Amino acid sequence: MGKFNNFRSYLADNLEIPNDAFSDNFDLRMHGNKKVIIENHTGITVYENDEIGIKTNDQYILIKGSKFKIEEINSFKVIVKGEIKEIIFSKE
Amino acid sequence: MLIFKLMYLIRGYVVVRLKDANFEKIMNLLRKKGIVMWDVEKKDNEIKFKISYDDYRKYQDIIKETRMETIKKKGIALNLRKIKVRKGFVGGLFILSICLYLLSSLVWNVEVIGTNNTTAKKIKTVLEENEIKVPVSQGSLETKSIETMLYKNFDNFKFVEVYVEGSNLIIFVKEKTIEPSEIKNNDPTSIISKKNAIISKVIAKSGQPVVKEGDVVYEGQTLIMGIIKNKNSEEFMMVPSDGIIYAKTYYNFEMKEEKIRDVNVSTDNRKVSFFLKINGKNVKIIGDKAPYENYNYKENIIDVPVLSSLTNIKIVKGVYYEETVKKIEIDENTAQNKMKVAMYDDLIKKCNKDSKILKSSINFTEDEQYYYLRAQIEVMEDIGESVKIYPMTDVKDEINEENQGG
Repeated sequence: MGKFNNFRSYLADNLEIPNDAFSDNFDLRMHGNKKVIIENHTGITVYENDEIGIKTNDQYILIKGSKFKIEEINSFKVIVKGEIKEIIFSKE
Repeated sequence: MLIFKLMYLIRGYVVVRLKDANFEKIMNLLRKKGIVMWDVEKKDNEIKFKISYDDYRKYQDIIKETRMETIKKKGIALNLRKIKVRKGFVGGLFILSICLYLLSSLVWNVEVIGTNNTTAKKIKTVLEENEIKVPVSQGSLETKSIETMLYKNFDNFKFVEVYVEGSNLIIFVKEKTIEPSEIKNNDPTSIISKKNAIISKVIAKSGQPVVKEGDVVYEGQTLIMGIIKNKNSEEFMMVPSDGIIYAKTYYNFEMKEEKIRDVNVSTDNRKVSFFLKINGKNVKIIGDKAPYENYNYKENIIDVPVLSSLTNIKIVKGVYYEETVKKIEIDENTAQNKMKVAMYDDLIKKCNKDSKILKSSINFTEDEQYYYLRAQIEVMEDIGESVKIYPMTDVKDEINEENQGG
């Protein structure tokens, strides 16, 4: 799964196709340190006022900070608002 | 995000609360079902979030299963659904709007401005004869054709304007007035006396003076005649007269003033009443009508914002100030001064501006009830007044004309 995903990512990069459209990689965008938009996620693992954990296909994303609020969550994307201090990526 | 929220404000959304230790799991479950959640807030051991009303109805089983509490439902669509249930209310609202539309699109009253009651009645009769009867719809009224119709029916109208204002048909009319004939400079005139007087000076600029200094003249008597004899021939000719005739005139005055007079003095008491003014009639709402025996009444009209502009209904606030009658004794000097002032006021009205008082004798007397003033004022003033003169038609010519006509 991992290798095949990496291949798709490699192919998308070379063909200049948007990576998230071709592979299962997540797309993370930040607006300053106030807002994080994560697309292609698979669910929430932790939700606290100072910590939010989001699961993607092959990564765990842990966002640390304060005053966290989930502005919107649907099957495709999640928008997190608050004062972001740290984003940690980890495998499984 | 703003558009997203606005869209759900229209379509309707539900605020739910979840009191579960493992709420991340439930959120993931809802997410997998395709339910969109927004404004997720965490407080202590509970989370609060919003979901669309459509999702709420669709996945009610899951919501019950997960023991979610519904806090409130919001949205325009939801409110409309509630209104749909109240069929009577919606029906009433619909009928009301139709009634309002019908009532406001009709003309209910014809108001004639600028003329007397008799002409106004005649105008209304003419309108009725031409099948314009109230109530009539505003759309069917042609103001220009009404104006033309009124010009045709009334010859004495100088100006007519017809327009619709609210539910009133306003007819503004200006009637022709007969202008007083003016004396032209070239017309032959004589100067006659306005008053009974004794002539003291005659200044004749043109015309033949027929009075001299010291003559007593009566009202209407000719002073300067506009007929003079031509120097070159024996014929008489008519000229416009001009001149000033100063004469002495006498004015007698008799006046009386009460020694003790009743004066209304206001007390501090007052009462307020409210009336409803409908078409000029007052209908009492709060308070008494005429609560005191003697009172001074002042009223203030209050316009009700929407009602007064649509209808002719107004609220009148009336205040009754209590007054008591007190007898006040007037001293002699005050009474005499008052009578003098009144006398001179009266004199000014009777005389010209250029008049001059020559002599005045004023006597004051009194009895138990009144002070009296008796006065004779001698005034020097111009007593002349121009009147137009016409040539005498030949009597023989008139007789001939009559015979020919017969």
